[in-house]
Amino acid sequence: MKKSTKVIIGVVIAAVLVCALALTYKFFGPSAQAGSKAYTLEVVDADGKTTSYEGTTDAEYLKEVMDELTENDEFTYEGTDSDYGIMINTINGVTADYNVDGAYWAIYVNGEYGQYGADTQPVADGDAFQFVYETAQ
Amino acid sequence: MGMMVALLEAGKFTLQAIPNVEVVTLLFIVFTASFGLKTILVSFAFTGLETIWWGINTWNVMYLYIWPLLIVYVYLTRKHASVWFYSISSCIFGLFFGALCSIPYFFIGGPHMMFTWWIAGIPYDILHGISNFAVCLVLYKPLMYACGHIRKLTREQTR
Repeated sequence: MKKSTKVIIGVVIAAVLVCALALTYKFFGPSAQAGSKAYTLEVVDADGKTTSYEGTTDAEYLKEVMDELTENDEFTYEGTDSDYGIMINTINGVTADYNVDGAYWAIYVNGEYGQYGADTQPVADGDAFQFVYETAQ
Repeated sequence: MGMMVALLEAGKFTLQAIPNVEVVTLLFIVFTASFGLKTILVSFAFTGLETIWWGINTWNVMYLYIWPLLIVYVYLTRKHASVWFYSISSCIFGLFFGALCSIPYFFIGGPHMMFTWWIAGIPYDILHGISNFAVCLVLYKPLMYACGHIRKLTREQTR
Protein backbone atom coordinates (compact mmCIF):
# COMPACT_ATOMS: atom_id res chain seq x y z
CA MET A 1 0.00 0.00 0.00
CA LYS A 2 1.27 3.46 -0.92
CA LYS A 3 2.31 5.76 1.94
CA SER A 4 -0.11 8.44 0.79
CA THR A 5 -3.00 5.93 0.88
CA LYS A 6 -2.06 4.94 4.46
CA VAL A 7 -2.02 8.62 5.48
CA ILE A 8 -5.46 9.21 3.93
CA ILE A 9 -6.87 6.12 5.70
CA GLY A 10 -5.39 7.32 9.00
CA VAL A 11 -6.84 10.82 8.63
CA VAL A 12 -10.25 9.38 7.68
CA ILE A 13 -10.22 7.08 10.75
CA ALA A 14 -9.40 10.08 12.97
CA ALA A 15 -12.21 12.14 11.35
CA VAL A 16 -14.69 9.27 11.86
CA LEU A 17 -13.67 9.04 15.52
CA VAL A 18 -14.26 12.80 15.94
CA CYS A 19 -17.77 12.40 14.48
CA ALA A 20 -18.47 9.33 16.65
CA LEU A 21 -17.44 11.21 19.80
CA ALA A 22 -19.54 14.24 18.82
CA LEU A 23 -22.57 11.98 18.33
CA THR A 24 -21.91 10.22 21.66
CA TYR A 25 -21.91 13.62 23.38
CA LYS A 26 -25.09 14.65 21.58
CA PHE A 27 -26.99 11.56 22.72
CA PHE A 28 -25.53 11.05 26.19
CA GLY A 29 -24.42 14.58 27.11
CA PRO A 30 -26.33 17.05 29.28
CA SER A 31 -29.80 17.94 28.03
CA ALA A 32 -31.93 20.70 29.46
CA GLN A 33 -35.54 20.17 30.57
CA ALA A 34 -38.13 22.84 29.72
CA GLY A 35 -40.97 23.93 32.03
CA SER A 36 -41.34 24.51 35.74
CA LYS A 37 -39.07 22.49 38.03
CA ALA A 38 -38.66 22.32 41.79
CA TYR A 39 -35.14 22.55 43.20
CA THR A 40 -33.17 22.99 46.37
CA LEU A 41 -29.81 24.69 46.58
CA GLU A 42 -27.47 24.60 49.56
CA VAL A 43 -24.30 26.58 50.15
CA VAL A 44 -21.82 25.04 52.58
CA ASP A 45 -19.15 27.62 53.34
CA ALA A 46 -15.60 27.33 54.67
CA ASP A 47 -16.83 27.04 58.28
CA GLY A 48 -19.33 24.32 57.38
CA LYS A 49 -22.27 26.71 57.78
CA THR A 50 -25.13 25.71 55.49
CA THR A 51 -27.52 28.16 53.83
CA SER A 52 -30.49 26.62 52.01
CA TYR A 53 -32.70 27.88 49.23
CA GLU A 54 -35.60 26.22 47.51
CA GLY A 55 -38.09 27.13 44.86
CA THR A 56 -39.40 26.46 41.40
CA THR A 57 -37.84 27.67 38.21
CA ASP A 58 -38.16 27.58 34.45
CA ALA A 59 -34.38 27.82 34.20
CA GLU A 60 -32.70 25.16 32.13
CA TYR A 61 -29.24 25.46 33.63
CA LEU A 62 -27.95 25.94 37.17
CA LYS A 63 -26.39 29.33 36.45
CA GLU A 64 -29.84 30.68 35.50
CA VAL A 65 -31.18 29.48 38.88
CA MET A 66 -28.28 31.29 40.57
CA ASP A 67 -29.06 34.45 38.60
CA GLU A 68 -32.72 34.23 39.68
CA LEU A 69 -31.67 33.95 43.33
CA THR A 70 -29.40 36.98 43.05
CA GLU A 71 -32.34 39.06 41.78
CA ASN A 72 -34.04 38.56 45.14
CA ASP A 73 -30.88 39.52 47.05
CA GLU A 74 -30.94 36.14 48.75
CA PHE A 75 -27.78 34.89 47.22
CA THR A 76 -24.66 36.41 45.68
CA TYR A 77 -21.94 34.95 43.55
CA GLU A 78 -19.01 36.02 41.44
CA GLY A 79 -17.25 34.05 38.77
CA THR A 80 -14.92 34.36 35.86
CA ASP A 81 -15.74 33.18 32.38
CA SER A 82 -13.26 30.83 30.82
CA ASP A 83 -13.13 28.50 27.85
CA TYR A 84 -14.30 25.77 30.22
CA GLY A 85 -17.36 27.82 31.23
CA ILE A 86 -17.91 29.90 34.34
CA MET A 87 -15.53 29.38 37.25
CA ILE A 88 -17.27 30.25 40.52
CA ASN A 89 -14.91 32.19 42.80
CA THR A 90 -17.14 33.73 45.45
CA ILE A 91 -20.50 32.71 46.91
CA ASN A 92 -22.31 34.80 49.52
CA GLY A 93 -19.12 36.81 50.04
CA VAL A 94 -16.89 33.75 50.66
CA THR A 95 -14.04 33.54 48.15
CA ALA A 96 -12.30 30.29 47.30
CA ASP A 97 -8.86 30.97 45.84
CA TYR A 98 -7.13 27.85 44.55
CA ASN A 99 -3.85 29.71 44.14
CA VAL A 100 -3.75 30.62 47.83
CA ASP A 101 -4.74 27.42 49.61
CA GLY A 102 -6.14 25.06 46.97
CA ALA A 103 -9.72 26.10 47.79
CA TYR A 104 -12.56 25.86 45.27
CA TRP A 105 -16.34 25.78 45.18
CA ALA A 106 -17.40 22.21 44.37
CA ILE A 107 -20.80 21.55 42.82
CA TYR A 108 -22.79 18.52 43.98
CA VAL A 109 -25.92 17.36 42.17
CA ASN A 110 -28.27 15.08 44.08
CA GLY A 111 -25.43 14.15 46.41
CA GLU A 112 -22.96 13.29 43.67
CA TYR A 113 -19.96 15.33 42.60
CA GLY A 114 -21.07 17.42 39.61
CA GLN A 115 -19.55 16.69 36.23
CA TYR A 116 -20.46 20.03 34.63
CA GLY A 117 -19.93 23.70 35.29
CA ALA A 118 -22.78 25.88 36.55
CA ASP A 119 -23.58 27.11 33.03
CA THR A 120 -23.81 23.61 31.52
CA GLN A 121 -25.36 21.76 34.48
CA PRO A 122 -28.98 21.03 33.48
CA VAL A 123 -31.80 21.50 35.98
CA ALA A 124 -34.31 18.65 36.33
CA ASP A 125 -37.43 18.57 38.48
CA GLY A 126 -36.54 17.79 42.12
CA ASP A 127 -32.81 18.39 41.72
CA ALA A 128 -30.80 19.13 44.87
CA PHE A 129 -27.74 21.26 44.22
CA GLN A 130 -24.96 22.03 46.65
CA PHE A 131 -22.06 24.44 46.51
CA VAL A 132 -19.45 23.22 48.95
CA TYR A 133 -16.25 25.07 49.85
CA GLU A 134 -13.50 22.47 49.52
CA THR A 135 -9.72 22.45 49.49
CA ALA A 136 -7.42 20.21 47.45
CA GLN A 137 -5.20 17.86 49.49
CA MET B 1 16.69 13.63 31.75
CA GLY B 2 16.59 16.92 33.64
CA MET B 3 16.43 18.81 30.35
CA MET B 4 13.52 16.67 29.18
CA VAL B 5 11.53 17.33 32.37
CA ALA B 6 12.37 21.04 32.13
CA LEU B 7 11.14 21.15 28.52
CA LEU B 8 7.92 19.33 29.46
CA GLU B 9 7.26 21.75 32.32
CA ALA B 10 8.11 24.81 30.21
CA GLY B 11 5.89 23.56 27.35
CA LYS B 12 2.99 22.82 29.68
CA PHE B 13 3.33 26.16 31.49
CA THR B 14 3.53 28.15 28.24
CA LEU B 15 0.34 26.69 26.78
CA GLN B 16 -1.73 26.21 29.94
CA ALA B 17 -3.81 29.32 29.17
CA ILE B 18 -5.11 27.67 25.99
CA PRO B 19 -7.51 24.87 26.89
CA ASN B 20 -6.57 21.43 25.63
CA VAL B 21 -3.73 22.66 23.47
CA GLU B 22 -0.51 21.12 24.74
CA VAL B 23 2.93 19.94 23.64
CA VAL B 24 3.43 17.35 26.39
CA THR B 25 2.09 14.54 24.19
CA LEU B 26 4.36 15.54 21.31
CA LEU B 27 7.40 15.91 23.58
CA PHE B 28 6.86 12.40 25.02
CA ILE B 29 6.54 11.05 21.46
CA VAL B 30 9.75 12.79 20.34
CA PHE B 31 11.69 11.83 23.51
CA THR B 32 10.64 8.18 23.20
CA ALA B 33 11.41 8.05 19.47
CA SER B 34 14.83 9.57 20.20
CA PHE B 35 15.86 8.13 23.56
CA GLY B 36 13.71 5.02 24.04
CA LEU B 37 11.93 3.55 27.04
CA LYS B 38 13.94 5.51 29.62
CA THR B 39 11.42 8.29 28.84
CA ILE B 40 9.08 6.46 31.26
CA LEU B 41 11.35 7.64 34.10
CA VAL B 42 11.02 11.19 32.71
CA SER B 43 7.23 10.83 32.82
CA PHE B 44 7.37 9.83 36.50
CA ALA B 45 9.65 12.79 37.26
CA PHE B 46 7.22 15.07 35.38
CA THR B 47 4.25 13.69 37.34
CA GLY B 48 6.20 14.14 40.59
CA LEU B 49 6.97 17.78 39.80
CA GLU B 50 3.37 18.45 38.77
CA THR B 51 2.21 16.89 42.06
CA ILE B 52 4.56 19.13 44.06
CA TRP B 53 3.27 22.18 42.18
CA TRP B 54 -0.48 21.44 42.03
CA GLY B 55 -0.99 19.03 44.93
CA ILE B 56 -2.39 15.51 45.12
CA ASN B 57 -5.58 14.83 43.19
CA THR B 58 -7.17 12.18 40.99
CA TRP B 59 -5.23 13.32 37.94
CA ASN B 60 -1.94 12.31 39.61
CA VAL B 61 -3.08 8.68 39.33
CA MET B 62 -4.08 9.26 35.69
CA TYR B 63 -0.66 10.72 34.86
CA LEU B 64 1.04 7.66 36.38
CA TYR B 65 -0.38 5.37 33.69
CA ILE B 66 -1.44 7.60 30.81
CA TRP B 67 2.03 8.94 29.89
CA PRO B 68 3.80 5.55 30.29
CA LEU B 69 1.06 4.05 28.08
CA LEU B 70 1.83 6.61 25.36
CA ILE B 71 5.57 6.02 25.73
CA VAL B 72 5.21 2.22 25.42
CA TYR B 73 2.98 2.71 22.35
CA VAL B 74 5.55 4.98 20.68
CA TYR B 75 8.36 2.58 21.56
CA LEU B 76 6.51 -0.40 20.09
CA THR B 77 5.60 1.48 16.91
CA ARG B 78 8.94 3.28 16.43
CA LYS B 79 9.58 1.36 13.17
CA HIS B 80 6.61 3.21 11.64
CA ALA B 81 7.88 6.59 12.91
CA SER B 82 6.86 9.44 10.63
CA VAL B 83 5.27 12.83 11.03
CA TRP B 84 1.92 11.58 9.71
CA PHE B 85 1.91 8.39 11.77
CA TYR B 86 2.48 10.25 15.01
CA SER B 87 0.20 13.16 14.07
CA ILE B 88 -2.69 10.72 13.58
CA SER B 89 -1.66 8.71 16.69
CA SER B 90 -1.47 11.83 18.87
CA CYS B 91 -4.86 12.94 17.51
CA ILE B 92 -6.45 9.61 18.53
CA PHE B 93 -4.63 9.78 21.88
CA GLY B 94 -6.16 13.24 22.46
CA LEU B 95 -9.62 12.06 21.43
CA PHE B 96 -9.52 9.23 23.99
CA PHE B 97 -7.56 11.10 26.66
CA GLY B 98 -10.76 11.62 28.69
CA ALA B 99 -11.79 7.98 28.29
CA LEU B 100 -8.39 6.83 29.54
CA CYS B 101 -8.46 9.37 32.37
CA SER B 102 -11.93 8.23 33.46
CA ILE B 103 -10.66 4.80 34.60
CA PRO B 104 -9.95 5.84 38.24
CA TYR B 105 -13.59 7.00 38.51
CA PHE B 106 -14.70 3.40 37.92
CA PHE B 107 -13.07 2.55 41.26
CA ILE B 108 -14.24 5.75 42.98
CA GLY B 109 -17.91 5.82 41.95
CA GLY B 110 -18.56 2.87 39.66
CA PRO B 111 -19.29 2.64 35.93
CA HIS B 112 -21.96 5.39 35.98
CA MET B 113 -19.55 7.96 37.41
CA MET B 114 -16.83 6.87 34.98
CA PHE B 115 -19.21 7.17 32.02
CA THR B 116 -20.68 10.57 32.95
CA TRP B 117 -17.21 11.97 33.72
CA TRP B 118 -15.98 10.85 30.27
CA ILE B 119 -19.09 12.17 28.47
CA ALA B 120 -18.82 15.59 30.17
CA GLY B 121 -15.31 16.03 28.77
CA ILE B 122 -15.93 14.92 25.19
CA PRO B 123 -16.00 18.47 23.69
CA TYR B 124 -12.58 19.08 25.24
CA ASP B 125 -11.31 15.69 24.03
CA ILE B 126 -12.29 16.60 20.47
CA LEU B 127 -10.42 19.90 20.77
CA HIS B 128 -7.49 18.04 22.33
CA GLY B 129 -7.36 15.53 19.46
CA ILE B 130 -7.49 18.18 16.73
CA SER B 131 -4.88 20.38 18.43
CA ASN B 132 -2.58 17.39 19.03
CA PHE B 133 -2.77 16.60 15.31
CA ALA B 134 -1.88 20.17 14.30
CA VAL B 135 0.89 20.57 16.90
CA CYS B 136 2.51 17.25 15.92
CA LEU B 137 2.23 17.99 12.21
CA VAL B 138 4.05 21.31 12.64
CA LEU B 139 6.60 20.55 15.38
CA TYR B 140 7.46 16.84 15.06
CA LYS B 141 10.20 17.23 12.45
CA PRO B 142 11.98 20.25 14.01
CA LEU B 143 11.93 18.59 17.45
CA MET B 144 13.17 15.26 16.06
CA TYR B 145 15.98 17.14 14.31
CA ALA B 146 16.89 18.94 17.56
CA CYS B 147 16.84 15.67 19.56
CA GLY B 148 18.96 13.97 16.89
CA HIS B 149 21.47 16.80 17.13
CA ILE B 150 21.60 16.52 20.94
CA ARG B 151 22.15 12.74 20.71
CA LYS B 152 25.01 13.30 18.27
CA LEU B 153 26.63 15.93 20.52
CA THR B 154 26.23 13.71 23.59
CA ARG B 155 27.92 10.79 21.78
CA GLU B 156 30.82 13.00 20.70
CA GLN B 157 31.30 14.32 24.23
CA THR B 158 31.33 10.84 25.79
CA ARG B 159 33.96 9.53 23.35
